[in-house]
Amino acid sequence: MNANETMLEKGMRTVDLDSPQDGNRHMTLPDWLLQGRQPAYRGYFAVLQASCGHALQTLLRRRRLALAALVAFLPVLIPIALSFLSSSRFAESGNVVFVRLAEDLYVNVFTPLMALFFAGMLVAEDIEMRTMTYILTRPASRSAWVFGRFLAFMTVASLILICSCALTFAASTLHADLSLTRTTDLTLLIHYFGVIVLALLAYGAFSVFLGAFTKRPIVYGVILLYGWQYVATLVPGLVDFFTIKKYTDALLPLMATQRNVTEIHTALGTFTREVFLVSAGKAVVALLLITAVSLGATIIAVLRREYAADRAAGG
Amino acid sequence: MTAIIEAQGVSKWFGEVVAVNNLNLSIESRITGLLGPNGAGKSTLIKLALGLYAPSRGEIRVFGSRPRNNNAVMRRIGYCPETDYFFENTTGYEFVYWLNRYWGMSRRDARRAAEAACELTRMTERMHDPITAYSKGMRQRIKIAQALASSPELLFLDEPMNGLDPRGRDEMYALIQALADAGMAVVVSSHILYEIERITDNIVLMYRGTLLAQGQLHDIRGLIDRHPHAIRVESRQSCAISKDFLDLPDVTRLEFEENALVIRTREPNACYALLNDMARKNEGLIEGITCSDDNLQSVFDYLTR
Repeated sequence: MNANETMLEKGMRTVDLDSPQDGNRHMTLPDWLLQGRQPAYRGYFAVLQASCGHALQTLLRRRRLALAALVAFLPVLIPIALSFLSSSRFAESGNVVFVRLAEDLYVNVFTPLMALFFAGMLVAEDIEMRTMTYILTRPASRSAWVFGRFLAFMTVASLILICSCALTFAASTLHADLSLTRTTDLTLLIHYFGVIVLALLAYGAFSVFLGAFTKRPIVYGVILLYGWQYVATLVPGLVDFFTIKKYTDALLPLMATQRNVTEIHTALGTFTREVFLVSAGKAVVALLLITAVSLGATIIAVLRREYAADRAAGG
Repeated sequence: MTAIIEAQGVSKWFGEVVAVNNLNLSIESRITGLLGPNGAGKSTLIKLALGLYAPSRGEIRVFGSRPRNNNAVMRRIGYCPETDYFFENTTGYEFVYWLNRYWGMSRRDARRAAEAACELTRMTERMHDPITAYSKGMRQRIKIAQALASSPELLFLDEPMNGLDPRGRDEMYALIQALADAGMAVVVSSHILYEIERITDNIVLMYRGTLLAQGQLHDIRGLIDRHPHAIRVESRQSCAISKDFLDLPDVTRLEFEENALVIRTREPNACYALLNDMARKNEGLIEGITCSDDNLQSVFDYLTR
């Protein structure tokens, strides 16, 4: 005999009950809570604005952001220090100093770093702290929520890196061969702005995806962006096409692309590696595609995954 | 009356753990008490109805539609979870405001609704304080504020009495009754029968993921009353409190613990009434009340034998 039958035998479903005990105090509800007085639903863009606004507020209140901004502005000091302290030929050219800093630090280090620590965590923290439960029980479009978060990341990260890069450029003009007024130099600066924004798009979207899909987005991100990417650029063949770095490198000015390693010297010998170059146009398309696919996959993950499930069994 | 929530053969499992097993259920009444011991599947059932989980088997419908990723259903629902989850570095007001914005309200509507919901839950004075500075009871109230701010038609309250002092519990009972009187459907989960008894006579009784019974309360209560009920009162003056309970005829035993008194009684309502009086007369005398579900467990054991 199952439990339902047991209770049915005892008349649980059939016996009427007296009124519940009315020892409760009475309360008068305000008008706004009465039925049919729901606030107007503003739709997709209201949710997108909310997601972006809330993420911006959260980011700006974090000490982590101040620390990241401080680190991102440190390269500004390098050209200044070089102009006073160094007498090497490298330091004689402001152009060389700026290009090295822009590529080695801003494009290859800071953009993935910002993406991992901010884009990835903006989504992952709602999952980890289980505030996702509140968001998923709102009539909020999941894509609007994801895009809002991503937009907030892009705004903050772009602002920090572009300002820092511009100041580094200004500081590099202390050296010869770089000027704040020369058109070709300013074009170079704008070129790097573009590369930084495109790199942030791709790295940011990929990190958002890691945040929505894995429990440890920073660990996986460090392995993939700092481990895998650098290994893939050394392995012969076409493996490097499965990295974001391949396409950000392709967008760098000529000087940088010429630095691609074609010979790898090791204790075992010297290996020659054929590098398949990608045109700037195709690199832009690839980066935009990585962004779109990553964000699309994030939205699908948010729609399909059961984020409240980790402690659910038996609850 | 048409069913607000309808479950047909719903099962939900997580790996090898079955949280809800072949549940057939129809909820129509204004206030429904979801009753069962910890691990019965109450929260899982609520999350299935909220669309947070997809059923592993079967189908669940809320307002006639499948709730998962269904914004039309979500627009009509409010939810107060059992556990304390809050956005980082926010005040109570901001917490409600941002959730209103996520609901799709304009800035102005979200502000107004947040202020009104905080006022309703008596949080206006402290609404601009960080949530980290709130007591357990205040956190509970701010969670209820966010659930009510959009004026839902169906409200899920998962263990809403947790952490509330006697006065807070009284207010919660009154609020739930008032919401139901105003036409809102309320589903309240609890593992304590006497909490549910205060607000409704319609219960859904769950045990180990299965529906044990759905029906009227007093039949269960009859079974429960055969077993002494344990009430744990946290107080630094447990000796002083115990004196008043010695005279109650249905109190079978008083046990003293460190800064707490455990009362075993066959008539818990009389004890709760006395505790409420004490708490009102002397604020700070009672720091907390917890109710053991031992006796409920014994009824479940009896029913499932």
